[in-house]
Amino acid sequence: MTIAETPRFVRADGPDKVTGSGRYTADMQLAGMLAAKFKFAEVAHARIVRLDISAARQIPGVLAVLTDDDVPDVRYSAGLADRTLFARDVVRYEGEVVAAVAATTKEAAQAAVDAIVVEYEPLPIVDDLEAATADGAVLVHPEWESYSASPGIPRDGNVASHSSVVRGDVVRGLSEADIVVTSRYVADGSHAAPIEPRAVVAQWEGDKVTIWSSTQVPFAARDGVCHTLGLPTNRVRVIVPHMGGGFGGKCGFHYEAHVAALARAARRPVKLVFTRREEFIAPDRRRESMIVDLTTGVKSDGTIVARRGHALLDNGAYTADSSFFPQLAVMHLAGPYVIPNVEIGAELVYTNHQPSGSVRAPTAPQATWARESHTDEVAAALGMDPVEFRLLNAVETGTVGPSGQTYDEIGLTDCIRKAVAASETAGPLADNEAVGVAVGWWPSIPAPSGAYVKIDGDGAGQIVTGAQECGTGSVMTLRQLAADELGMDPEEFQIVHQDTAVAPYDTGATGSQTLFNNGRAVIAAAGQIAEQLRELAADRLEASSADIVLSDGAAHVAGSPDRNVSIAKLARTASYCELLIGHGSGPPPSAPEISGATCAGDAGMAAWVAPQFSCHAARIRIDRDTGVVRVIRVDAVHDSGTIINPTGALGQVEGGVVMGIGQAISEGTVYGTDGRQRNPALLEYKLQTAADAPEIHTQFVEIFTPDAGPRGAKGIAEAPNVPTAAAIANAVTKLIGRPVSHLPMTPERVWEATR
Amino acid sequence: MKELRIATTLEEALALIAEGYQPVAGGTDLVVAARGGNSELPDHVVAIDRLAELSEINSSTGGLQIGATVSHARLMSDESVVDGFTALADAAALVGSPATRNVGTIGGNVMNASPAMDTGSPLVVLDAEIVLRSARGERLVPVSDFWTGPGQTASEPDELCTAVAIPNLPSDSGSAYVRLEYRRAMEIAVVGAGAVVSLDPDGDGRVVGASLALTAVAPTVIAVHGIADALIGRLIDESALADVAALAGDQASPISDLRASNDYRRHTVGVMARRAVEAASRRATGESILVPVNRSIGIGAVT
Repeated sequence: MTIAETPRFVRADGPDKVTGSGRYTADMQLAGMLAAKFKFAEVAHARIVRLDISAARQIPGVLAVLTDDDVPDVRYSAGLADRTLFARDVVRYEGEVVAAVAATTKEAAQAAVDAIVVEYEPLPIVDDLEAATADGAVLVHPEWESYSASPGIPRDGNVASHSSVVRGDVVRGLSEADIVVTSRYVADGSHAAPIEPRAVVAQWEGDKVTIWSSTQVPFAARDGVCHTLGLPTNRVRVIVPHMGGGFGGKCGFHYEAHVAALARAARRPVKLVFTRREEFIAPDRRRESMIVDLTTGVKSDGTIVARRGHALLDNGAYTADSSFFPQLAVMHLAGPYVIPNVEIGAELVYTNHQPSGSVRAPTAPQATWARESHTDEVAAALGMDPVEFRLLNAVETGTVGPSGQTYDEIGLTDCIRKAVAASETAGPLADNEAVGVAVGWWPSIPAPSGAYVKIDGDGAGQIVTGAQECGTGSVMTLRQLAADELGMDPEEFQIVHQDTAVAPYDTGATGSQTLFNNGRAVIAAAGQIAEQLRELAADRLEASSADIVLSDGAAHVAGSPDRNVSIAKLARTASYCELLIGHGSGPPPSAPEISGATCAGDAGMAAWVAPQFSCHAARIRIDRDTGVVRVIRVDAVHDSGTIINPTGALGQVEGGVVMGIGQAISEGTVYGTDGRQRNPALLEYKLQTAADAPEIHTQFVEIFTPDAGPRGAKGIAEAPNVPTAAAIANAVTKLIGRPVSHLPMTPERVWEATR
Repeated sequence: MKELRIATTLEEALALIAEGYQPVAGGTDLVVAARGGNSELPDHVVAIDRLAELSEINSSTGGLQIGATVSHARLMSDESVVDGFTALADAAALVGSPATRNVGTIGGNVMNASPAMDTGSPLVVLDAEIVLRSARGERLVPVSDFWTGPGQTASEPDELCTAVAIPNLPSDSGSAYVRLEYRRAMEIAVVGAGAVVSLDPDGDGRVVGASLALTAVAPTVIAVHGIADALIGRLIDESALADVAALAGDQASPISDLRASNDYRRHTVGVMARRAVEAASRRATGESILVPVNRSIGIGAVT
């Protein structure tokens, strides 16, 4: 079946969600359940000189109050173990958890939190990325050298991780250039801002705990609980009810261990539900602010000969999953261009801000905004059309990219041509309108992943997968893959997922990886059953199993469609003998070679498996008197390999574009000089609304990509969020004559740039 | 323990208010502020949303009386408001979201006395009076005297706002309210401006009367002084509009906060003022500009 013939896919969870019958973590009620509340630091950097919970313990209805004294002495975090469940001696950001309370009501829990006495000795606030990396800077973690870290993560002082890619000779390259352009761009941090603030419920039975959590990554959440509370994986079960969005903000291990510890201490089930403000200030997942410096040398014919670049990334107070961000940032500063001489570095810098972590395409929207704005500046300096300049320098099939990777068949230049052509169909531009164009790229992330498939005696199928559904619909696409493998209808399959005790491992709804990796697992598992069905059919139809074809719900003999038996009949037969059970994982695709480049701090992100490419053309309108920018149309063209579920892929692109518009013009965290967020609320942190969404026209450049995901697919979830802000920026620059070098490009910043 | 009483008659409501009960209708200020942790819910609350006499819009020869519990959704679509007092409809149509507009009321807006309230500038330029009732009787306070500071009004603790009364405009008049918005829904005024323009009925397009008020650039919504003197006898042309913007910018005393700097507010309130005057004068000529102006003209237009 080709993509064009694929029926429009209807999400299995849609009716639950739109009718309100779907149940989310916060909806759960268990007998005897308590409410949890946290005592947050509420100061950005201070030493705890007194922490007294005695009064809190006396509040009626309070059954547990926990601090660092009450949990095992364990430091955690994926790449760099720099944090503890509860603040120990020093608080390093306002949302750090100092203590946790469980009580019979929310009000009693809040009263207990208010009764906790904490006295602080203020410490200097580290909030400036450049000052934090200067000699003699105050250290956020003076004891950083004692923290354990993954191999290959260079650290120093406030630098939590560093990466660079060096290829060729930048000094010589720049000296041979005819034109050299230098730019500086600064991006504010931003938030994932899912509609559902996170919630966690924990219940112990004997020495086993079940945790319901609104997490994108149940296995990582489980492992965090095991690590911090000292439990084996088979005593911690994480289940995820429906999720109200994540956007990366719910990746990682967050508060599951706090709630489990409370439930153990109180001997009752406990539920934690964050307020909107808590969702803004506390989790270690927000998009990092960034300072970018870029210098590019070009020949007068438009060929790029060299690029030097540097980025400082705000890590915040602790390292969540951000150790690899410098390498990703380096790749985005280089961009999908052929550049023979490259010297680009990036540093992840500790500050007293909320920790950064994977928000949809980490580092990419900001770094791409900086690079693509710079690209238009270079084209302008050359007097060259920016689209022509991109086409001249873009990586293509067989070319060598900036980190030394040679690309198999890729569709970047197709993406550019198609986006620009589509954009031109929208008619002539008014004098307050312009179209900006930007390209983007993003890796596909190979990872181990597992699934089981079974078909019971009535012929009904069940997929049991470790994959997690965070709202993208990709888990539900697995039914399509299993059905294709078995010649059945996707509707004949149900999915059991997001339960760590039941399903095999999967990384979770992170890194655009669900279909890419778990699709492989499901196909492998379904393939085992297909093999069983062919054997059973061969027996019954007196043919060789190699000649059995599974399609339309039956097993046929190839070339003799009349000789067939229904899969339901075969399933019935199997239910009396060897059951139809398949399990699958399959080896992940391996990383391609890179050559000629040296990578300091290599986090495995310099060579990209199945790289995705994109081009967005954004048509905007500007109110010159006020600086208000409105995006009226986006033409988005993506090379994400084969598109397996066109409806789901379209949804990803449209959502990514709207999120990109927010990052471009309205979403940004504002910090006070006290190191605290000034806009942790949806009135002052301006997400785009449905009323603001432009027309979005999406096309896919479909290239079957070998050594990638199932059916030649790449990822799709993050790529659409990569170039939108950059495309909008380039349109703004066309209208006001100079770049707005600070993201988000708010009306006031646009107006300032025009003065 | 908190107490909510549901009033079935106005007299009952007034008696309870005299005892210290706080009135609530839509709850979009009271409840949201409590949920947001900004101010606790009062201990004693009286619901006035079921009092039919507070939810009427009555036309008379002299003008329009709008009951205090009339919602923003009704204001933006009621024919008498849209036809005769269009600025008020423009403003109501921009408030919050459909949900806010369906429950939020004009009386609540007036009594909350936010300098960022969208309906404030229209009420000022339309010369509205606030109708206050108490067990002691009824009195009318001109809106220009009513707001005394952020969240502060000239009302007494036992008084309930029961209506706003707006006199009819002269013939050949138009009104408009325009707001700066960073996005097209769920927005709060960064700055805004309301205007009334009356033109010479003999048809040469010269101004015979004008008023202008500004939103979110001072501790209360403010009337711009000298606007009539500046415009009377003139055509609404580029030079007149430049004077409007300058007057507005001069009289604004905006703060710097998260939403904007004072410089940007001072500049953009001038832009909003000239747009409001321009839209009002076009409406005065009989041109139909659909409500709200923000969705009909310029960058925020729907198409």
